[in-house]
Amino acid sequence: MATYLVRRAIFGVLTLVVITCFVYGLARNMPGTPLTVQLGETDPSRKFNPEDLERLKRIYGLDKPWPVGYARWLANVVRGDFGRSISRKQPVATLIAERIGPTFLISGTALVVAWLAAIPLGLYASARSGRADERMSSLLLYVLYSFPTFVAALFLQIIFAVWLRGTAWELPLFGMSDLPPDAPLLTRIGDVARHMILPVTCQTYVGLAYDSRFIRANMEEAMRQDYIRTARAKGAGPWRVLFRHAFRNTLIPLVTLLGLSLPGLIGGSVIIEQIFTWPGMGRLFFESIRERDYPTIMGLTLMFSVLTLAGQLLADLLYCAVDPRVSVE
Amino acid sequence: MNTETRPAGFWGDAWRRFRGRPLAVAALGFVAGLVLVALLSPAIAGTKPVLCRYKGRIYAPCLGYFDRRLEPAIFTKDRFRGSYPRNLREKDPESWAIWPLVFQDPYRSVRADEWPGQPANPARDEGRPSRRNLFGTDQAGIDVFAKMVHGTTIALLVGFVSMGIAGTVGIVVGALGGYFGGWIDMLTSRITEVVMCIPTLVLILAIIALIEKPTIWHTMAIIGATGWTGIARLTRGEFLRLRGAEFVLAARATGAGPLRIMLRHILPNALAPVLVPITFGIASAVLLESSLSFLGFGPPPPTASWGSILNDARSNLAMWWLVVFPGITIFLTVLAYNLIGEALQESTDPRLREARK
Repeated sequence: MATYLVRRAIFGVLTLVVITCFVYGLARNMPGTPLTVQLGETDPSRKFNPEDLERLKRIYGLDKPWPVGYARWLANVVRGDFGRSISRKQPVATLIAERIGPTFLISGTALVVAWLAAIPLGLYASARSGRADERMSSLLLYVLYSFPTFVAALFLQIIFAVWLRGTAWELPLFGMSDLPPDAPLLTRIGDVARHMILPVTCQTYVGLAYDSRFIRANMEEAMRQDYIRTARAKGAGPWRVLFRHAFRNTLIPLVTLLGLSLPGLIGGSVIIEQIFTWPGMGRLFFESIRERDYPTIMGLTLMFSVLTLAGQLLADLLYCAVDPRVSVE
Repeated sequence: MNTETRPAGFWGDAWRRFRGRPLAVAALGFVAGLVLVALLSPAIAGTKPVLCRYKGRIYAPCLGYFDRRLEPAIFTKDRFRGSYPRNLREKDPESWAIWPLVFQDPYRSVRADEWPGQPANPARDEGRPSRRNLFGTDQAGIDVFAKMVHGTTIALLVGFVSMGIAGTVGIVVGALGGYFGGWIDMLTSRITEVVMCIPTLVLILAIIALIEKPTIWHTMAIIGATGWTGIARLTRGEFLRLRGAEFVLAARATGAGPLRIMLRHILPNALAPVLVPITFGIASAVLLESSLSFLGFGPPPPTASWGSILNDARSNLAMWWLVVFPGITIFLTVLAYNLIGEALQESTDPRLREARK
């Protein structure tokens, strides 16, 4: 077990170095620098004069070729320093810490709601397999699964923010809160909750459709096993067979899926956060690419990659934990 | 498909099963319809004649919609400036022309009386769907129906070109790793893992930002270059499974080299399971391209892409027609590819086949 973990860790670190080096190279080769992109776009007359630009480049270490910059970044990261955002004048670690909460609020809620609804739906589908109502609901879920999130987001915005404007059903279009920070706590919570409804809906329905199909597929596989026939033969009722014999055996792939959804949980969705201007990680990432804010891009890339690798490892370990037949060796 | 009397082969059998799924057949029909719309797009909506006789010769100016250079030079020389109906009448009274079904242009607003009796397209937020503009007009007064008809080509190309690239890369990488094993497998598996770990959207946004003037072809190449990991993993698994099979041993005994064994013996047997993620990949490529265009990272403005129409809608949500028509179309296209992929999976996977009653 220990050797396995060490081997995985070594490969993981190597993978991280390759990924960050690649992304750093890409980022530094994008046209424009954080110093020119922002000001040049808003107002051409406010561009830096060449001497100032050179001086600033030296301060941010942009005058050196990118491999040197990467080595410096890597050395700092090893020491626990993720650098300072160039366009936001804040430490990257602080920026990321600020954004994790809002993203988690959306993705965590969406994940819980999706699983709570997907498990009964999946079980219902396998219990009524082949009947008209099951076919109808499965088709509907499939249709939902193919529905692009950004289209759904726009539809919801049109319905709840444009057509229902002025009614009790109106929901806010953008952002996380309209209230000043000194408003009473309960009102503020209610306001954030109202802002959350649309983005959470968008993120939930895709997960719901995917998870319930996944559960159903695994249930179908389990229902074909011999032990189900045995359970039926010994006289177990249909629900008992479904829950105690079939469903418990599908928990293994479910656990793996849960592990693999870890990066999305904290990484957030670029598109949903962008549409609803939600101050989360996905939006930070999108903005940092547009602003060519290398330290932020790198900090986020590192975090995403670590989470992806950790999710994979977690899935593998959980798999071993719940299934004694599988061993990491 | 196979009308001969000999027993249907694997693919004949799969096709028979596929046909038994009405939804999948409808989806296939939908994609075929899209191909037809893409091929006939200049004849469906445009402002250039499909065929016309001008100064004694017959031309097809509508081909200019596929490629600028295909528009006959004589019309540029005679200063038509893209406005055909009046110029044809004035410069050659003997001329005749066959016009597209809808006189609307995907790249510009139609002016008043450009077509006799047709008013100018409404601009800003007044262009709700009407008899003249079936799907309404955008803020610049450009007909949304014409944009969508001409955007069909892109939607189809994006799917097929990018998955063509991804399929090739994925099959090559997976086949090498799976067949040879050892350090080659180690290397290809690590590379696949690294690419899998980089968030796709990040990679794509970064690469697109690298290109000075991104065109739709760049987008397709990038989607292809990042979307091969799943295919590679599946191909690797299949090759790993099949390389020990008896028919491979037999082929090796007859003296076939590794390339021949991989291409002629293993690949045909591994193709069915590999085709499934490719079909799903087409769906996600279409989705990815439209979300990129939607985020404003798509091809530059004159190119009509479904996603870019949605992007226009973001600034004014009251123009619901800019969301509903392209949104539903993107959704139906993605759904169609997903349905085809699922049917392909169920009609070629022997395990699932046996399970069906």
